[in-house]
Amino acid sequence: MTTVEKQLLASPRNLRYLLTVAILVLGLFAWSLTAVNFADVNKGGLQISFNIIKGIVNPDLDLLLNVSKQSVLYLLVQTLAIAFMGTIVGAVLSVPLAFLAASNIVPKPAAWLTRLLLIVIRTIPALVYGLMFIRVSGPGPFAGVLTIGITSVGMLAKLYVDAIEELDTRVLESMTSIGCTTFEKIRYGIFPQLLSVFLSVTIYRFDMNMREASILGLVGAGGVGAPLIFAMNSYKWNQVGSLLIGLVVLILLIELLSNKLRGKLIKG
Amino acid sequence: MIQFIDVQKTYPNGTIALQNVNLNIEQGEFVAVIGLSGAGKSTLIRCINRMHDITGGRLIVDDVEVTRLRGKQIRRFRRRIGMIFQSFNLVTRTTVIKNVLVSFVPDLPLWRKLTGLFTKEQKIKALEALDKVGILDKAYVRVDQLSGGQQQRVALARTLAQNPDIILADEPIASLDPVTSRMVMNDFKRINQEMNISVIMNIHHVEVALEYADRIIGIRKGEVVFDGESRRVTKEILEDIYGGNIEALASSPEEKLAHVR
Amino acid sequence: MYDKLFPPKKVLLPSGKVVAEKRSRTPLVLLILVAATVLSVRFTDFSLKVLFTRIGKFFGIIGEMIPPKWDSFPALWQALVSTLQMSLLGSMIGALIALPFAVLASANIVRSKAVVAVFKIILSLLRTLPTLVTALIATFVFGLGPMAGVVAILLFTLSYVGKLLYEQIENVDMGPFEAMESIGMTRIQAFRYAIVPQVLPGYLSTSLFCFEGNVRYAAILGYVGAGGVGLLIKENIGFREYPSVGMIILALVVTVYLIETVSEHFRKKLI
Repeated sequence: MTTVEKQLLASPRNLRYLLTVAILVLGLFAWSLTAVNFADVNKGGLQISFNIIKGIVNPDLDLLLNVSKQSVLYLLVQTLAIAFMGTIVGAVLSVPLAFLAASNIVPKPAAWLTRLLLIVIRTIPALVYGLMFIRVSGPGPFAGVLTIGITSVGMLAKLYVDAIEELDTRVLESMTSIGCTTFEKIRYGIFPQLLSVFLSVTIYRFDMNMREASILGLVGAGGVGAPLIFAMNSYKWNQVGSLLIGLVVLILLIELLSNKLRGKLIKG
Repeated sequence: MIQFIDVQKTYPNGTIALQNVNLNIEQGEFVAVIGLSGAGKSTLIRCINRMHDITGGRLIVDDVEVTRLRGKQIRRFRRRIGMIFQSFNLVTRTTVIKNVLVSFVPDLPLWRKLTGLFTKEQKIKALEALDKVGILDKAYVRVDQLSGGQQQRVALARTLAQNPDIILADEPIASLDPVTSRMVMNDFKRINQEMNISVIMNIHHVEVALEYADRIIGIRKGEVVFDGESRRVTKEILEDIYGGNIEALASSPEEKLAHVR
Repeated sequence: MYDKLFPPKKVLLPSGKVVAEKRSRTPLVLLILVAATVLSVRFTDFSLKVLFTRIGKFFGIIGEMIPPKWDSFPALWQALVSTLQMSLLGSMIGALIALPFAVLASANIVRSKAVVAVFKIILSLLRTLPTLVTALIATFVFGLGPMAGVVAILLFTLSYVGKLLYEQIENVDMGPFEAMESIGMTRIQAFRYAIVPQVLPGYLSTSLFCFEGNVRYAAILGYVGAGGVGLLIKENIGFREYPSVGMIILALVVTVYLIETVSEHFRKKLI
């Protein structure tokens, strides 16, 4: 059989496979359509969306620019602080967990158990943590920090593990030949390899945490979220507008900064 | 001076890596160890700085009985012996100079070890070492931006910064292209001649070995089958060392290596 | 900039050569980090003392979740299914809409710089908005219920898949595209036969990956009234019904794990 014929025969089977997948996907699509009930749609929806746009275009400038404790600026700084502290807490917690989950450091069963724990930590939605931590520290930004911390652990630890498992151990051999002790090998052989990856991953997570932190206010864990929902519920769309504008600008700035820093870390 | 007296090495799984090895290597010699893969070349070199333990006989380096060394003594002993590897073994994510400075680490006081702050003197020494291998201008560049040949020179500089009496090189040019190989070999030769440092090198490229080394040691199945000046090496001797495989080896040393590894 | 403020230190070698050593950034970075930490601690009322004295409460709550209340599962089932449906629908429609958006945002396909810029800005603005905020706004426009959730997920998927897709398209090998244009195909035909095959696996794989994440997100959208298990979580924690919360979390973990396994299987096949 020539290769051409082989290919010709291989092709229909592939087609059948694709067809099955396509039908499956279409089926899933139809099935999930049943979840949506168009009767729910508010009759005034159009009017409201028009109001929202109007609010965003005409933001409450006073709220946006003054510097009191209720101002957008203060809330944004608080959100930023929650994201930052949360990232630090998360990074601190993640490092030991990552080493415990790295299959080249600990025995396989232990690594597997830690990974399972990480999956569970990652799957529990942030708001659940938020509601739980409010019982711990009372409502306020501190609960937000703890929430961000623990939600960061899931992803940070996972990416740290990848870095640990990709460690280049050949450099340790050369350090042995130089006459280095185990401690010196860790400090000068392993630490520099991990540092830049860990930093880059952590900065990336900080960027994501900005978004997370901005919704925590919904459960009373500080930041810009609470005033946002409050303004929405009382239909003060120009306040919503100023809060959203501030939030979007801040998040974009942080993203820009994060990309720049990570680029530097990777390229050196 | 390095003396091998009836050195034996048997691996725990029973493989005999070295047997009846008797050698005397004087200070300042340039020795190339050749032989098939698995013949025991790498083991021979790694016994000298105790990366491997010998299981029989005596190994004496400058009147030090290598087998008798313990813990801290081994580490101090290794300070005098540099080692170069096929895969360069550098921390690629940091700068060249930081890699070179690593060779000073064992001498640092604890607080400097922790903070990674080196003295100005050490920095100058590291820069000098880089200058000797001709990559001074790359001192503050990250290693992952260098070519293979440049990386091997960084490794060489790191070894030079140790101020060693002996340099052991385990297949230093096996991952390099022919042109860079020559440049690195020239560096070895210059260091050997100008600084009177002994170079003991494992090498697959016979022609390069014959050109650069003063002395050739041929190993077959863990035994020394030839030991003498490079110019005395004949085709017959090579055939003896390589067990008749010389044609295949000389034509494609890299491929041979790739198959064996 | 930094090098101008702190000029490189000159190191003189005994051989007479001079090497310029750039000043280390480490002290500055450390200073900024410490300052940011101190400020953040003050802004967030962070207190290790509170943390260590009260953290037991957190584990207490977790303890109460175990064992979960098994017979609350039937009540949970409907919400779980609707969470899944929301994320499926949102991801599918979002990924589909992302296609034209990404193409229009690719500088190597669309000649008009204005169009490219506009679509890039739309995508990055959409990505900035946290999903929960979009969901919240959606509940005002589309009423309470899964519809709002679908819209929120749709918008997020659109922005995420859209961005990754246009980055992929822009990094594609343009050789085949030019070759096909040169043999007389229109730009659209050339796109179909030169670009699509190159980006299709990546597109499908990102969409699947996004779907995985969306299941997680969908779980909380109910909190603002956008359907799914979020509402149950809110109520149960409110009533301190922790064993039921435990059940919800267990169900979520299992669901997400299953979906990730299936999706990973397909993503590996694609790459």
